[in-house]
Amino acid sequence: MPWRSRGKPDQRAELMLGALSVAVLVLIALMTLTVFAKAWPSFSHNGFISWFLPGGDVDQQIKAIENGPKTAGHYVYHLRAWPLLWATMLTTGLAVLFGLVLSILAAIFIVEFAPPPLRRVLDPVVRLLAGVPSVLYGLIGILVLAPWINANLISNGRKESVENVVQLNGNGLGLATLILMVMITPIMVSLIAGALGAVPKSWTEGSAALGVNRWRTTWRVSLRTARPAIIAAAVLATGRALGEAIMLAMVAGGRGFAPNLLDGFTVVFEPARPLAATIIQNFEELGDPPLAQTLYAFAAVLLISTALLSLAGWAAKQPLKRYGIR
Amino acid sequence: MRMTRTALVSLIAIFTLGVLPAVASARAVLLDGSTSMFPLVTQLATAYHKATHQPAPHVGQGTSGAGITDVAAGRVDIADVSRDPIIGVDPPGLRFTKVARDGVCVITNPSNHLTNISQQLVQEIFTGQIRSWSEVPGATASGPIDLFQRVASSGTQDAFQNIFLGETLKISPAADAEESEGTMRQAVISDPNGIGFTSFDFTPGTNAVGYQGIPCTLRNAKSGQYLGVRNFWMVTKGPPKGAAAKFINWVTSGNKVTKKIIASDWVVVH
Repeated sequence: MPWRSRGKPDQRAELMLGALSVAVLVLIALMTLTVFAKAWPSFSHNGFISWFLPGGDVDQQIKAIENGPKTAGHYVYHLRAWPLLWATMLTTGLAVLFGLVLSILAAIFIVEFAPPPLRRVLDPVVRLLAGVPSVLYGLIGILVLAPWINANLISNGRKESVENVVQLNGNGLGLATLILMVMITPIMVSLIAGALGAVPKSWTEGSAALGVNRWRTTWRVSLRTARPAIIAAAVLATGRALGEAIMLAMVAGGRGFAPNLLDGFTVVFEPARPLAATIIQNFEELGDPPLAQTLYAFAAVLLISTALLSLAGWAAKQPLKRYGIR
Repeated sequence: MRMTRTALVSLIAIFTLGVLPAVASARAVLLDGSTSMFPLVTQLATAYHKATHQPAPHVGQGTSGAGITDVAAGRVDIADVSRDPIIGVDPPGLRFTKVARDGVCVITNPSNHLTNISQQLVQEIFTGQIRSWSEVPGATASGPIDLFQRVASSGTQDAFQNIFLGETLKISPAADAEESEGTMRQAVISDPNGIGFTSFDFTPGTNAVGYQGIPCTLRNAKSGQYLGVRNFWMVTKGPPKGAAAKFINWVTSGNKVTKKIIASDWVVVH
């Protein structure tokens, strides 16, 4: 075997692995460049600021792009993406917010208070839940929950109160946020539980030795120590929520609409289709250049958001590093 | 060394088993487009394979608009299009071949026993002028009307627009947009207040509403009494060529097999 020359295998492995990781980086860079290059016409035709602003019905605008002339130079690009952006912020933000509270409490229970036999069951179950494909959640949402909400929670009076603007049929912001929260909570629970478990025993024991009770020790010592991990969990969960498409396309309502907080509780039932779901709803038409470029623009916004998110997470972790673990 | 030989042998095996036969036999015709044409075209494709021993055409589904962009770009051989050609919007050079006609029914939830609807009422409901079932004579649902439409590139959407609404009226922007005939049907089945429209083939499970006094049935569509009927087209880039031409010619030849398949749920034109 001539290629296995003595003394070099380490070096060769190093080179191979290095080349692979560089290849991955190059791949990501190429993908980012492609997305931005393809998205460019949509942004430049609308103006880089007005693209993000409210103005008109976004679905009608997408329809006009789709039905516009098919000869280059005459493409229609007019788009004001605010309703989709707002829907993305609402579904993601609310799901992460509620999910974070829930998962911190759940993680504390699993690590500090659950009896060991229960913990042995909970740990794998949480990890299993984190891996459930989102389309399953979407199916349950569209076949079971949405019709139930439509039949039991939305009164005709509520439907009539907003019927001049939007119709309510069970799919909407509340259901989308709820399912999204259920989807991302297990990831956060397992990350936060991991961090709580890694808090040095001497720290909590020291606190207990000073006469501080268990709950207070957890709250003031363990949780504080785990703050960087909590931020990391939130960032990861937000990333997943931002990119979630199939499930949201199924349950967020088939309409690009900016839910109006002034509608009071009704806002929970208003449709709120976010960016990623809008890509799904229109991806059959990717062969149509102006529409494809518009969809690439949505993708570019998602890409920038996740990049900014990681950056913000990193920045938020810096001051906490001194006392934290990880 | 042994590993390498095993790898080589398995590679060769993969090539001989998988790639060579694919190269040797003729390539199957690729189709894409309308979800309302999908049930018809898949049946035709299977029967074509049985009757002629040509490879069964591969039928994908998207929307009529997606089919048109795909066929114009050469990604598929034939587009299934359930709307008529639109001058100025369709890319130039496409050849439309009519293969069948299809009834488009207005559908409601099965709990709503609306039996007939006038053209004026369809227009008032779908443009959003009438928003409550209490204003619709014959409807047994109560409360606000939930409108469902299809996405922009759908052929059924275009056919509904042209047949039921005409050129100037527009479907209310509040209507929920469904991606396919299947999701449209599901949406109306799960919403007691829903109203939408689908190809006749997708009406089972829903309440198909008569239009202008004529029930939306296959018999009435065939006899020409029911007015909500549109064309099914197979679209090629230029005149059909090669395997695609063979398939289209077989479909439009008016033979016993195609007639039987088309007549089972659609209107025969050849």
